[in-house]
Amino acid sequence: MGHQYQAIQWNRNKAHYDIAIALFALLYTGIFVVIGLQPSETGNTPDPVVLLIRAFGTCAFLLLTFILMIGPLARLSDRFKPMLYNRRHFGVFTFLLAAVHFGLALMWYHGFGPLNPFVSLFVSNQPGGTFPGFPFEVLGLAAFVIMLLMAVTSHDFWLNNLSAPVWKALHMLVYVAYGLLVIHIAAGALLTEKSMLYPALVLVAFLLVAGLHLMTGLQERGHDRLRRALEDKGWVSVSAPQDIPDKRAIIVPLRDGERVAVFRDGNKVSAVTNVCRHQNGPLGEGRVVDGCITCPWHGWQYRMEDGVSPPPFTEKIATYNLKLMNGMIFLDPVANAPGAKVDPVFFDLTEYDESGDAEAV
Amino acid sequence: MSETILLAVGIYCLAGIVISLLFLVFGIARADHAAKGAGLVFRLTILPGLIFLWPIILGRWLSGRQINQDIHGGDNS
Ligand code: FES
Repeated sequence: MGHQYQAIQWNRNKAHYDIAIALFALLYTGIFVVIGLQPSETGNTPDPVVLLIRAFGTCAFLLLTFILMIGPLARLSDRFKPMLYNRRHFGVFTFLLAAVHFGLALMWYHGFGPLNPFVSLFVSNQPGGTFPGFPFEVLGLAAFVIMLLMAVTSHDFWLNNLSAPVWKALHMLVYVAYGLLVIHIAAGALLTEKSMLYPALVLVAFLLVAGLHLMTGLQERGHDRLRRALEDKGWVSVSAPQDIPDKRAIIVPLRDGERVAVFRDGNKVSAVTNVCRHQNGPLGEGRVVDGCITCPWHGWQYRMEDGVSPPPFTEKIATYNLKLMNGMIFLDPVANAPGAKVDPVFFDLTEYDESGDAEAV
Repeated sequence: MSETILLAVGIYCLAGIVISLLFLVFGIARADHAAKGAGLVFRLTILPGLIFLWPIILGRWLSGRQINQDIHGGDNS
């Protein structure tokens, strides 16, 4: 929000992901058809159109599986965050593949009869129809309608005009669509070729998606509990470590009027009192020089890890305990004895390389 | 039975096309200021959604509610 609408938001990063995903789809469908055209032991090769229908359908399913894995993966590691920003593009692309699958299937299986193709689709599972038994095509159609609604509302215009809660609810239906597709593919494969290959693959994909969601859900619950326990003990949330300027500090005021300087040196974060031993200078406004916190007033120095001045000096200031959780630094407001050694909090700098490409999802 | 449903869907979409086009030409800039002056391709991008969800957008249009007022067309601040 805050900008005039554009048709499609593209930047370098997004374009790369879009090209990669298109190449994958091209390769996948190509290989699928080529392998499928090899004559089997029974001597009969499937129709190329049928192969295309299956290639596009399974490709869309695989991409949807991948899309549904992005959310939990991004929660597990920031490495996957850039994909999160591309999820909408992936989704629309997946819908286009599904549309080809749907269009081909509709024409091929229902386009040549006396009935309207859509009507034929609904009655084909009755005895004597194209696929007697289980209405797996109707399930596919239902999933397709959901994906259609999601694709046509993927633009920010819809997020704004449907309101965020409605938009979110609509797009949560993707899980319903995924469930429908799992049954659609498994039942369809069982009905048409009595093979267990597709049902098995679909089951694996489904278990992967469900397992990842379960895992992150449990992990988040654990984190929440830990954070609440910390906050109950009076710990204070400070900031994300990468938001502290390198070799500088942010100053955290505590309830009792005390101030704490939380310093970052590269990928290490330590906390000491804000008060210099010399003349009470504001240490938090100083910087880190050669691994030592350096007072902005007269240059007295203290080692980050224990608040002790480097030899030959022996001055000591109080240190504080920190914890890094869910990408956030927490501070124990109870000071350690001056000169007490505290291991700094380490964080992974490389994870934040892509953070420039942020976008609300 | 199925034919009736198909016909209803057809009529719904036809109404959607007419109302969507009217909305895109006359209504959108007032209803959502972020769309003021936005290009033709943007309008085409949201057209399919308008055709399917036209009752919602028509309701919005008739209610006169406006959003994104702080944005002025052409001024990408
Ligand atoms: S007050 Fe810190 S060096 Fe003088």
